[in-house]
Amino acid sequence: MNTVPDDMERRLRETLDTVASGVHPARDAYRTARGDWLRRERKRRVVLALLVAIVFTVAVLIGLWVLNQAPTGTGAIFTESPSSQGAAGHGSP
Amino acid sequence: MRRTEPRPQIPLSDGDVDREAGVARLFDLHYPSMLRLAALLGADDPENVVAEAYYQIYRKWRKVRDPGSAEAYLRSTICNLTRMRIRHLQVVRRNTEALLPESVASPEDSVLLHDDQRALIGILRELPARQREALVLRYWQGLKETEIANAMGISPGSVKTHAARGMAALTQRMEARR
Repeated sequence: MNTVPDDMERRLRETLDTVASGVHPARDAYRTARGDWLRRERKRRVVLALLVAIVFTVAVLIGLWVLNQAPTGTGAIFTESPSSQGAAGHGSP
Repeated sequence: MRRTEPRPQIPLSDGDVDREAGVARLFDLHYPSMLRLAALLGADDPENVVAEAYYQIYRKWRKVRDPGSAEAYLRSTICNLTRMRIRHLQVVRRNTEALLPESVASPEDSVLLHDDQRALIGILRELPARQREALVLRYWQGLKETEIANAMGISPGSVKTHAARGMAALTQRMEARR
């Protein structure tokens, strides 16, 4: 069911065309816009690089802290001293 | 053909040069029509809306290579950005109604419109954003329903509904005005 008169469509087209004809781009629009893109792109790259550097630094610091928390005594695997190991070796048949 | 413009301050790779040239070409081809589209959709600052849309395509240039899809992408971005901008202004206006000036100069102020045409544009501005988008894309840009659906991010059936409701509202209010 189409109750919209064709005249209305024609008038809408004409009005939109008339209004659009009154919009003119500025002469230096490209230069202004491009300057803005480059500035924003540079800022984005700097922020990204800073974020990567921060994440890397934090990861290194966490790693160093974990290593620093390790017990300073002899490890769990090598429980016997080398001299006692040698004595045990000589004593065996 | 090279454009005469200031030397960029950061060194550009081959990909960047390609992107610059591609976006410059898109700008030459579509900037005026995109600016008019943003103005007709009711953006209060169409230059900023269109510049933002071009920045989006500048950033995602590697994904959008085909000029046809670039135009559709631009159109869709402008529709979204304008809708967001209008919604933002409505919220601001609702919260600080007494403090804001009535309105800034709109495109229809700079052209000579008949009373009827001025009323028509006024009613068009009062329609819901989706209905206005469907009408502008259909009657000004002359797009097909599938193209409008792509630009608005909805189904062709919804485009038909929005356009029909918008047109019915326009007709009804214009007749009530007489």
